[in-house]
Amino acid sequence: MTFVLRMVGRELRASWRRLAFFFVCVAVGVSAIVALRSVIQQVGVAMAGETRALLAADVQIESEQPWSEAALAIVDGILGAEPELSRTLSIETPTMARPADESKVVARVVELRGVQAAFPFYGSFVLEDGRAYDHGLLAGGGALVRPELLTQLDVAVGDDILIGDRGFEIRGVVLREPGGGIGAFSFGPRVLIDYDDLLETGLLTLGTRAERQILVRVPEPRVDPLVASLREPLRDEFVRVRSYRNTEDRIARNLSRAEDYLSLIGFVVVVLGGIGVWSVTRVFVQQRVRSVAVLKCLGATSRQVLAVYVAQVAILGLGGALLGVALAAGGLASLPSSLTAQAAAVAGVEDLSYGVTGSAVVQGLGVGVLVSLLFALGPLLEMRSIKPLALIRWNLITVAARDWVQWTVVGALAAGLVALASWQAASWEAGLWVCGGFAAVAAVLHAVGRTLVRLVQPLGAGARFAVRHAVLNLGRPGNQTRVILLAVGLGSFFVIGIHAVQANLLGAFALEIREDSPDMFLIDVQQDQQAGVRELIEERTGDAPSLIPVLRARVTGVDGRRTQLDSARAVRRRGAGREFTVTYRDRLEANERVVEGAFWGPAGPARPEVSVEESIRDRLDLAMGDVLRFRVLGRDIRATVSSVRAVDWDDSRSGGFMFLFSPGVFDRAPHSFISFLRGPPETTARARLQRDLVAGFPNVSVIDGLEVIATVRRILDYVTLAITMVGGIAIVSGVLILVGSVAMTKYQRRYETAIFQTLGATRRSLVTMLVVEYGTLGVLAGAVGSIGALGLTWGLSRHLLDIEWNAAPLVNLGGMLLTALVVGSVGVAASLDVLRRKPLGTLRAE
Amino acid sequence: MIELRNVSKTVLSGNAPLTIVQPLDLTVSSGQYVSIVGPSGSGKSTLLGLIAGLDAPTTGEIVIDGVEISGLEEDALARLRGRKIGIVFQFFHLVPSLTAFENVLVPLEIAGAPHASDRAAALLSEVGLDDRAGHYPAQLSGGEQQRIAIARALANEPPILLADEPTGNLDSANGRHIVELLHRVNRSRGTTIVLVTHDSELASGTDVTLRMRDGRTERLAPAPLREVLA
Repeated sequence: MTFVLRMVGRELRASWRRLAFFFVCVAVGVSAIVALRSVIQQVGVAMAGETRALLAADVQIESEQPWSEAALAIVDGILGAEPELSRTLSIETPTMARPADESKVVARVVELRGVQAAFPFYGSFVLEDGRAYDHGLLAGGGALVRPELLTQLDVAVGDDILIGDRGFEIRGVVLREPGGGIGAFSFGPRVLIDYDDLLETGLLTLGTRAERQILVRVPEPRVDPLVASLREPLRDEFVRVRSYRNTEDRIARNLSRAEDYLSLIGFVVVVLGGIGVWSVTRVFVQQRVRSVAVLKCLGATSRQVLAVYVAQVAILGLGGALLGVALAAGGLASLPSSLTAQAAAVAGVEDLSYGVTGSAVVQGLGVGVLVSLLFALGPLLEMRSIKPLALIRWNLITVAARDWVQWTVVGALAAGLVALASWQAASWEAGLWVCGGFAAVAAVLHAVGRTLVRLVQPLGAGARFAVRHAVLNLGRPGNQTRVILLAVGLGSFFVIGIHAVQANLLGAFALEIREDSPDMFLIDVQQDQQAGVRELIEERTGDAPSLIPVLRARVTGVDGRRTQLDSARAVRRRGAGREFTVTYRDRLEANERVVEGAFWGPAGPARPEVSVEESIRDRLDLAMGDVLRFRVLGRDIRATVSSVRAVDWDDSRSGGFMFLFSPGVFDRAPHSFISFLRGPPETTARARLQRDLVAGFPNVSVIDGLEVIATVRRILDYVTLAITMVGGIAIVSGVLILVGSVAMTKYQRRYETAIFQTLGATRRSLVTMLVVEYGTLGVLAGAVGSIGALGLTWGLSRHLLDIEWNAAPLVNLGGMLLTALVVGSVGVAASLDVLRRKPLGTLRAE
Repeated sequence: MIELRNVSKTVLSGNAPLTIVQPLDLTVSSGQYVSIVGPSGSGKSTLLGLIAGLDAPTTGEIVIDGVEISGLEEDALARLRGRKIGIVFQFFHLVPSLTAFENVLVPLEIAGAPHASDRAAALLSEVGLDDRAGHYPAQLSGGEQQRIAIARALANEPPILLADEPTGNLDSANGRHIVELLHRVNRSRGTTIVLVTHDSELASGTDVTLRMRDGRTERLAPAPLREVLA
């Protein structure tokens, strides 16, 4: 034992410099794991204390429809029975806001919320000027707005804005609001007004998308019983009931999922580091053959020798992992405060501390050491087959046949990686997918790399001395070509691939806009506004828009040949419980075709019929003649399924509907209209149309498709940046592996260089050799990444994103050249000191 | 005591079997100093490797101090070497990452010997290199490296020392130093020594000299040695 421990110390002293690079790779991955986990865990901790504030109440009862008599009676009955209870009402609806100043031609979609004096039960507002919130700020036509609205509408505190039929004075800017939820999708910036004022805006017309909420405060022990007693009777009234605790659970679930999946990114980087560890250990073992033989000659057993080197790897792995923890801690501490404040705002919490957490550190250290050991074990086991006889007979060839021990180790390595990945993702399925995916990508890149190396070999024949040797170097025994190609190739694969996907996505969006597809959407047009809206749009664009009648409907039952669902709950369980926007007409649109059954003629059928979209047929397993039951505007309607349509969702001119009813069913029912139109191309004309539509028809919302696309583009940019950073880390790992590989093979190279120099090779030809060798390696690595990226973008575009695929040759070419440049310069720079040594010293040392 | 009974070694050269050591019997008694001479490729080093348990014989048995070693596993052989056999090589084979002192210390540590440091220091002083203890092999001359290697081979006071061309890589002055050192070890410690060399002058001072040619041995000097030619 003493011998093993002492030898570990001596070996570390002798070789840590050469091995350090590889454990830096481990450090990079570990730091990613520790940092990501720490941040998310702390967000979770910070938010756990504020979940009541996220809801602003203990219990929230919510309906998307105006409260029905029945629902209100149930709610009043149950709430009235509670001895100690406060309640308040609130409404949230997306709508349009515009400056009262007529000279400012602009109108924007906002998320309007009307609240009463008792709001909020929990949490507090943060206003920009530091004032305390008071309902008096809203009462009598006041409004609090998010800062971004001021710039969008070009208004300031004190100015008036128009919402619906009413004017509101901006009395303050709200930075943080209770009850705002987190990360929820929003149509626009928040505007907060008084509840009664909202009712007076005239916005809540038929079909308006609005959430009506009853917020309740009860003593803590009553929260769960109250939720339980409300849920059951309200289930068929389409009323949602949730407590702050449901929110808490959901947040905790989402956060832990985010934490686990993000950690997988770190895991992939650690595995890259592991590949580096494997490669260095292989070379290291070759360099240690003589020492190991000597130790065996002196009486050391294979087990003792193995123990020395395994312990060494474990210590270096631990060192790398500790370095990773330090990197994570340093990185988090040096985050700019503007960024941390923004993150806190997104998470909806007041303040976030950015330190590493204990459990993240433990996980990071565990992963670092385990990956190091797993990857080092294979090459280290070869030490068992080193025979001490090699000291006498150098021509002795020891062919280490793969015995059962090594196969066991390979199996254990695979199982270990899957277990590690599953541990990180907290799911066996995810672990298997990540490992399988990684193995598949690595195998493909490896095969591509091998083929490319083989393809360039003929270049060596007959070329100049420097080129010939450079090319031969790529394929000589003990070379690091495959490892570098894999590591750097994987990094460039990530980066090039993701940029190419982005280019394709942007291309797809731009394409849709270039055609005559609509770029402006009108919602909530009332029946009596049809003519006016049509006239205004025709005047401005030259085209009469088609106004499509819409209603909101839920499926509450299926009476079919194969499917029998007798309640809304049963339908919900089949995944069709949401509220659908439905329409009626007597003809098919250009983007529709009937794939089953027959469509009703212009006259329309005698009894109500409905045509369903393919996915609905599949989901509910419908047959022609089945009867569907719908709840529309509080009434139950039965319609017979008479056809199934395929809808081309890309062609959005006429919209797309899951349920299309025959004419006559809703003729007399009150309903609103939507329209898809192509707005004027110039910005000012667009703004004027938007503004005039809202001025003339205050309840109509006008959504500018160009703005939506700009938002999508912005989100895409963020996503691309995030993934590029991950790819960047992978590339950094790749470059580190490259530097390490150069350092490892330096001794062999130094000897060869010395011999070349004594044989008359000039420094210039030696430098040329290096440049050609690493330049070729870089081009190959870039090509490996590029080819992989082409496959990735093709697969993603065709199968996942469902967009047209383009090769994005500029991105691929640029990425390839950049990779070549980085690999070339790093390789040459890391090798230059070989040239500086005098040949005699090197040869004597050998 | 070393006993070889009907020991031979045959390897495959290409596809054809090649016998490097023809079947032979050999006994070396305790305290004897035996040299094996012969031209390159005659099988000297292979024979030495067989005695050291570095290689397994094709036929026959090798008995070291009453232990039949040809059936032992690799690790058992390593332990046997650690206790009973010291080896000195032509190319020294010091561990380059260890200092001179540590190179001598290692076998003592492997064997778990008490007072290892003191004994290593004493051995260094015995070979006259106590002032070089902290140097790495690359910082030592060939002669110095070989003296360190001998000190290392003697660390566990093995009854047997095997030396494979110990002066083959040294100039004559340094070579003489090593020869004297080996004689001293044989006389003062009573260590059995088997020396392989192609230098007949070096062999002349030993108790018995065997000549090897084409894998066969012949005795050159009369001695209390029982040797049967196959």
